[in-house]
Amino acid sequence: MYVFSRFARPALRIALLVASFFSTLTADAFDLAGGDLKVHGFVSQGLVHTTDNNFLGESDGQVSHDFREIGVNASWRLVPDIQLSAELLSHRAGGTDDGSVRLDYGLVDWTALSSEHGRAGLRLGRLKTAYGLYNKTRDVAFTRPSIILPQSIYFERTRNLTVSADGVELYAERYGETGSLTASFALGEPKTQTEAAKVALFLSSPPGELEARLAPDLQLLYEGAGNRYRLAFTALQLDLSYRPGTVDRLRAGRFKLTPLIFSGQYNAERWSLTGEYAIRRTSVSGFGPYFPDSHAVGQSYYLQASYRFAPQWEVLLRYDAFYADMHDRDGKAFAAATRQPAFSRFARDWTTGIRFDVTPEFMLRAEYHRVNGTGFLAAQDNPDVHTLRRRWDMVMFLASFRF
Amino acid sequence: MDERLSIKFVSFLVRAVALYALSLVLLIASVKAQTSEPSMVAIAFPATSEEALARASLRAIFGMLLQKWPGDTPVKVFVLRDDAPDHATFSKTVLQVFPHQLRMAWDRQVFSGQGQYPEQVASAQEMLVRVASTPGAIGYVKASEVNQNVRVLKVR
Repeated sequence: MYVFSRFARPALRIALLVASFFSTLTADAFDLAGGDLKVHGFVSQGLVHTTDNNFLGESDGQVSHDFREIGVNASWRLVPDIQLSAELLSHRAGGTDDGSVRLDYGLVDWTALSSEHGRAGLRLGRLKTAYGLYNKTRDVAFTRPSIILPQSIYFERTRNLTVSADGVELYAERYGETGSLTASFALGEPKTQTEAAKVALFLSSPPGELEARLAPDLQLLYEGAGNRYRLAFTALQLDLSYRPGTVDRLRAGRFKLTPLIFSGQYNAERWSLTGEYAIRRTSVSGFGPYFPDSHAVGQSYYLQASYRFAPQWEVLLRYDAFYADMHDRDGKAFAAATRQPAFSRFARDWTTGIRFDVTPEFMLRAEYHRVNGTGFLAAQDNPDVHTLRRRWDMVMFLASFRF
Repeated sequence: MDERLSIKFVSFLVRAVALYALSLVLLIASVKAQTSEPSMVAIAFPATSEEALARASLRAIFGMLLQKWPGDTPVKVFVLRDDAPDHATFSKTVLQVFPHQLRMAWDRQVFSGQGQYPEQVASAQEMLVRVASTPGAIGYVKASEVNQNVRVLKVR
């Protein structure tokens, strides 16, 4: 594992150098060194207002602008088989992320085998985690179907665990007459050395440290009839052990999270229908009396329809449901055991939104959420669970620019 | 009672005929629209070893996945703007991929460090010049615009 961390540091330096060099210029996408070095980026700013509860900053009864995403990436194709890429990302998201600049990915992609029927190779370095249909580009507004991804599956709260990992990924693609099949398998160390990762799991910030074992991540993706059908299956396992601090109520415990995701999408020329279903096995053990052992199976799913009614306009309708424990969907057993609100164990979110692409580089979006439950809210933004309200509404706006 | 029923029946019949006529008009219009689209062809650098490619391989090349020709030459992909009618026609009729899906696939690769965008050119004239002068180049033009400086690729 040290190898990858050591790799990440020089990669970060190189990326910083490249980014600082290009930040002196302002223009379209940059294309240098005979067309093989390319630099792209994006800036997105969101506004969030909620009737109750805080999401992405202090939004309750006011407008939070603590939702900002800035990224710059460079890719360099040395030869057809080898590409180097890195992206620097600043992601500001209320109390869960302060927007400090991080290496989002930094990798070498080597296509070892290639023919007209397919290719296979490996990626090494800091890699985006394959997780459902949207995770690899989750912070790029242009690639998302809405201002925020469906929170039941793509939590803002626990993003650190699944955003990227340091390791290796093997991939194979087969291009067939009816469609293409892509398989990838990665082994990587997820990002757990952050406050946000700890709070997401413990709902508090204990003094010890979380250490992750190499996490296996498998994805199979079938794209049929020129991407009209996209079907995917993802299996990921996170195994985290806790090393208690010097003065710590918690013992050396262990978290095991095993999400399985089934994804499906149908794309017509003007409309798309997307659904994903996830089942998450979670086990907590060995932390002692202050953080009791538990085993739960979480369940998440959403169904989403989008329609491009004019070339620059798109509307969206989505129903998104999250249950922390599918055997205690209404949270009553949890409430009885912990005296915390039952509705913090689920969230059902009806979303409707509109997207306007002013130009291919500049996009505006507006979105309305009607939510029952607080299951996906972050503890950092809502420190007192007893002030949470079960039913709340949210209005969001987003402007995004890319080059 | 009987009279009311027969009026209902007649009005139903009228509506059904009107609907049928309307759908017929739409069908003819859409067929006409399809046949009036210019036929697009994939073109390549003249010394390219290939004369024909499977549609799946062509999709993988324009999808920015496949980076090499079978003979190991690097592929260089040229496209027109997303909103150019010829780009839409080529995507839909030759690749059989909606241009919006092609854009989404490129974005997914570029912003995860797995691939690059194709080179965008401003016009069919520029497309012909760039494809004719870049080893490994691939692009597309209307069949009527093909000149002797490029090779037409057949789809297997």
